[in-house]
Formats: sequence, C-alpha cells, structure tokens
Amino acid sequence: MGDLTVLPEPPSLPREFARALLTFGRDGVDGEIPGTLVQTTTTVDRDRLMDHQRLCGFKVNDTLPPTYPHLLGFPLQVHLMGSADFPLPMLGMVHVSNEITVHRELHVDDELTLQVGAEAMRPHAKGVTVDLVAAVTVAGELAWESRSTYLHRCTPPSDAEDPDPVEAAMPEPPAVPAGPAAAVWKLPADLGRRYAGVAGDINPIHLHPWTAKAMGFPRAIAHGMWTYSRTLAALGADGIGTSRVWFRKPVLLPGRVALHVAEDHRTAALASPKDPDRIHLVLTHQAL
Amino acid sequence: MTNMPRKVAIVGGNRTPFARSNTAYRRASNQDLLTAALDGLIARFGLAGKRLGQVTAGAVMKHSRDFNLTRESVLATALDPATPGIDIQMACGTGLEAATTVANKIALGQIDAGVAGGSDTTSDAPIAVNEGLRRVLLDLGAAKTAAQRAKALAGLRPGHISPVLPATDEPRTGLSMGEHMARTALAFDVTRAEQDAIAAASHQKLAAAYERGFFDDLITPYLGLTQDNNLRPDSNAEKLAGLRTVFGDPETATMTAGNSTPLTDGASTVLLASTEWAEEHNLDPLAWFVDAETAAVDFVHGDEGLLMAPTHAVPRLLARHDLGLDDFDRVEIHEAFAATVACTLKAWESDTYCRDTLGLDGALGSIDPEKINVNGSSLAAGHPFAATGGRILAATAKELNELKQREGGTRRALISICAAGGQGVAAIVEA
Repeated sequence: MGDLTVLPEPPSLPREFARALLTFGRDGVDGEIPGTLVQTTTTVDRDRLMDHQRLCGFKVNDTLPPTYPHLLGFPLQVHLMGSADFPLPMLGMVHVSNEITVHRELHVDDELTLQVGAEAMRPHAKGVTVDLVAAVTVAGELAWESRSTYLHRCTPPSDAEDPDPVEAAMPEPPAVPAGPAAAVWKLPADLGRRYAGVAGDINPIHLHPWTAKAMGFPRAIAHGMWTYSRTLAALGADGIGTSRVWFRKPVLLPGRVALHVAEDHRTAALASPKDPDRIHLVLTHQAL
Repeated sequence: MTNMPRKVAIVGGNRTPFARSNTAYRRASNQDLLTAALDGLIARFGLAGKRLGQVTAGAVMKHSRDFNLTRESVLATALDPATPGIDIQMACGTGLEAATTVANKIALGQIDAGVAGGSDTTSDAPIAVNEGLRRVLLDLGAAKTAAQRAKALAGLRPGHISPVLPATDEPRTGLSMGEHMARTALAFDVTRAEQDAIAAASHQKLAAAYERGFFDDLITPYLGLTQDNNLRPDSNAEKLAGLRTVFGDPETATMTAGNSTPLTDGASTVLLASTEWAEEHNLDPLAWFVDAETAAVDFVHGDEGLLMAPTHAVPRLLARHDLGLDDFDRVEIHEAFAATVACTLKAWESDTYCRDTLGLDGALGSIDPEKINVNGSSLAAGHPFAATGGRILAATAKELNELKQREGGTRRALISICAAGGQGVAAIVEA
C-alpha cells in the first residue's frame, strides 16, 4: 500500500461529486491504480441511521446494519476516484459485486475510523474493473471490511490475458435458489430518490426516468446497495458474518421484484416476478 | 394432563427505557419498540431459535396497519418463526391482562412458555382522516358508475382536510382521564400535598433503584436512552407545589403535570414459563404468577370513579385466596395519577365505601406506605399505556426475589392497575 491521506473529517459528498464529474472522458485503462489510502474518523448520525434502517427493512435500533458503513465510506470512495491520479472516470461506473464482513457489531455510539483504498484494476469482458476496499476500525480493532467491485465499460485492454477475471476477486456465485418466490416487493418510483437522500449517492441513473434515460437506462434504477441491504434484511442477516452480492440486471423503478431464498437461508436472489430467469442479484450470507 | 393447574414462573423481563412523548423515540413505531424489547429479552434468556407457546402483547394507540403487531414483531426477532404472536388490548391494563392470558395457558398445560408484553407510542401516533372525508372515500370506493363517483366527490368539504388525532378522552363522557380523576380525587378529599408527596417519592425511589443497579437486568438501552427520561431524581414536594393545576374546577383543582403521568413511549416484555420449562433451560424463576382478577365499574351512569375498578378487583382476588392486605410484603398501585393511588388506599380504608360500594363487611384495610411502589412507579418512569403492566410485573418479581433472598420465607406482592373504560386488573405474585 502507498501513501496514507488523513482527512480531518469525512469529505462533503456534493463537492466530491463535482470534482469527480471533471474526470468525465478519462479513459486511462492502461494507467495505474494509485496506492493511496484515504482515512477519516466519523461518528454516526442517529436520524440518518434510522432512515436507512427503515428504508432497507432493517430493525430500528442502535446497531449498524452490515451495509451502513458503506454509506459512510462512500464519500471517501468518491474522493479517491475524483483524485487527479485515478485513471478511470467515476461517472458511469457500474457496481458489479460486493463483499462485506462484519467482524464485530458496530454501535451507533462507536467512533469509527474509516479507511478506503482502490486496488486490483483488472480487464473484464466489457471493460475493466476496479475494487474499492474499505475498512472500519473501532479503538484500533478491525470491525468491518468491504470490497466493492466497479466496472468501467470500455473496449477491454488488448493485452487482457484473463478473459473473465471479474469473479477472481470473489468466488463464483451459487446457483439461484429454485422454487416459488418467498416474497414479492413493490418498489415505488421514488425509491432511488429516497435512498439517495439517505446514502448521498445521487448518481442520476437512480433519481428520475429522464436523468436515467440520459444515461442510457429506460427508467430510473434502484441503488445496488439498497437491493443488497433489503435482501440482507429479509434474511435477518444483520449481525456478524460475511455477505457477498453479485449484481446482475438492474431493477427498474417503479417495479416489482421477487425474493427467492434457499432452504438453508444462506443464499438468496432477486428476480423479476414475471420472468424468473431475469436475475437482479444473487447474495450469500454466512454468519460467523 | 395431571396436576393441573401448574405453577407459573415469572422468569424475568426486559423493557426499553421509557421516553417522554416526542423525545428519544419520536420516530420509533410500536413495532420498533416491541421488537427492541423482545430482542433484549431473547438475548438475556437465550431464546434465539426457540419456539415459544405464544407471545401476547398489545398497544393502545395502534395504527390499523399494525393489526398483527405482535406477530410482526416476533417475525423480526430471532425467535423461531413458528412462535405465534397474539394482539390484545385493554387500555392501560393491556400488559397485565396479556400476562394473565399467557399464565393461564401455562397453568392449564396448553403451552410451556410464553412472553407477555406491550408497547405504546404517543409520538408516532396514528392520525386518521376525519369522519366526513372517510365517508366520502368509502362512498367513492363503493361507487360503480361515473355518476355515483361524482356524487360521492361532491360530498367533499374544505373542513375534511383536518385530520383526527387520537385522544385519551372517554368516548361516553367526553371527559379526559384527568378530569375523571379530578372528580374522584375531590370525592375522596385527596389534597394537593398528598399527591405531590406521592409524586416526589416516586421519583426518589425510582432514582434510588437505578442507583443500586436494580434495573440492570430489567432494561436494555434503546435509541440512546439508558434510563427513563421522565425521571427527575431531585424532585421534591416543594418543587411540585409550585406547578399550576391542570385538571378539574380551578377552585378545587389539585392535579398538576407533576402529579399526573406524562404521555410516554416505550415497550416491555415478561417471560413466563412452567417450572419444568424453566428447569430444562437452566433458568431460575424470579417469582410465581399466582392469580389475577379483572374488574370493571359503571363510571358512566353509576357514581363510581373511572379509575376505581382495581378497588373492586382486589377484594375479589383476596377472597379467592383467603388473604388480607396485611399478607402482602409489597403492593404496586399503578400511578396513573398520584390521586389514583391516594383514592385507592382511602377507598380500602373506608368502612362506608367498602360496605356500600364493594359489598364487604367493613374496611378492607390499610397498607404500610413503606410497602407501596418501593422502586418508583409511573409518575417517575412514565406510562406507555400497554407497556406499564410488563414493567410492573417484572420489577415486582425481581423485588420479591431479592426480598426473599434477604429475609427468607414466602414473599407476596399485590399489583393493581387501572385502565380507561372504567376497567382494572389486579394480580398476586409470590416468591
């Protein structure tokens, strides 16, 4: 790992977004991922936590859902991707998979030290992927880790040796659980705006049909982190353990999604209720 | 099915700290609160993955979408999803009535273990559309033709926009509970000083109980609260005497915000089980749920006070067990108002009242004030309606258990809880 940049406080997301927008058109697929680690210390805003818990279907209490620290680390991710030496443009990056490990439950009163870095730029059939890794320590003890893999769509680098290396960061996803849907959720048209309001991720593809169309989607799409959180909440998987999610087809808003859960409650998938072969995500959870 | 009925163990309890309305739990729903109380109970007694006979709980201020409040809360917890959840409601008597239901099923051998509880929030209160608008919307839903729909919509009036807020007024008298209490307090000549003394003692005793760690295994912190935020440890009769009166005729009024319970949010749970179940799970019962009695009085046409039903329930319960007030080491009288406690005690001390109203031979008796509400009650802790029964039952079981360990012998407590609608519940607990 390279330099450590310590920020006195979490960076302002709108400013970071503005800076990251300037990276539009950047296409340094042959460039190097900077080894910089960005670190800051933060506390949890109870109202925001409650909004997140309610919107994602987690219990409303003093424990942070497994996906909550991602939201705290997100401004650092954007800061990193918007920095001068980051080779890829942030706008249009697609979240393809994520892995989160909760080593110990995080409490609303914990003072969290967040560290975010980028690594492992790899060629992919549809472009290149990069991993944004994040860790949370409390009083020097590692409490939470996450690896988010994003895809930058482009012509894959010509010297791509491994034709499909995306899954290299994560194991192969398990088979989609068979059988009837455990639940069907109606997702409202404003879900993307509401989640953006909580998470701060104001990527236009989530906000409104018009802004989503401008980015090449037929309608607004749900945040991957919301679908990930909602599925974890449905499994009751809100404690210590490791979860992995593989994002497939985007969830269009408004819309309906069907939850499929394996018998062992460790694997779940979201699919279209009308077309079970149209998979939105596959998720695994292993309690520790 | 021999040896029925069985003894019913009070294994323990868990509640959230109670919060004054629109404070710490401003944005928490009944389901959030009940789930939090259950989660703490499950963690405390290792109930994760266990199938209980039933969880019975309720809420007084309840949103129509919460028809299955208890079941939905159970499903949110780590309990085996095959645990049934049942909603009941008896105003402020909900919690103790829930415990009675669960205890009776255990006694009859229908279930081996269950949880009784209750939750209430006046912050996240259900707000309804007003009756006129509701009628229009129902007619609109029933309309089959465009003409019928137009006719229904023509019924809309500007005034329909104002919503209906829940109130604690008695539907049949239009009087608030405080106004009813003020009438009874006047009838029993309860003074302002008596009420303020009860209120000050409640705060002081609750503060002392917190101080000695009494609530450490009865409460789990929630949303930033570690103890009831209505508690004022430095409360005293002089400070309370300075408050202005809020209920009754200003000429004779004695009731203030200080000697009446505030609107409060919170939830409570109690784990009840058969002796065998408790043994199998290596849990030592705190006390035993012996019996309970529910009563109601005619406060609408009769001349009995709205909150006087427990004075009727208790003598019937005592007669069933051949007990007198002297046989109790602890007495818990829910402090809906300080005047409720004062009126209840005066009623039992009165030959006339006991003979004419309760049909007894003479006064039921008096109770040593040292035995009453020893760890504080609703005036200090607050009173989330349906959660009060569970708060009192768990704390009483623990108090009796401590008393028994300190002084030996069989220890007995009486619980008395009044409720809206002229109802009340009383129970006997033994350790």
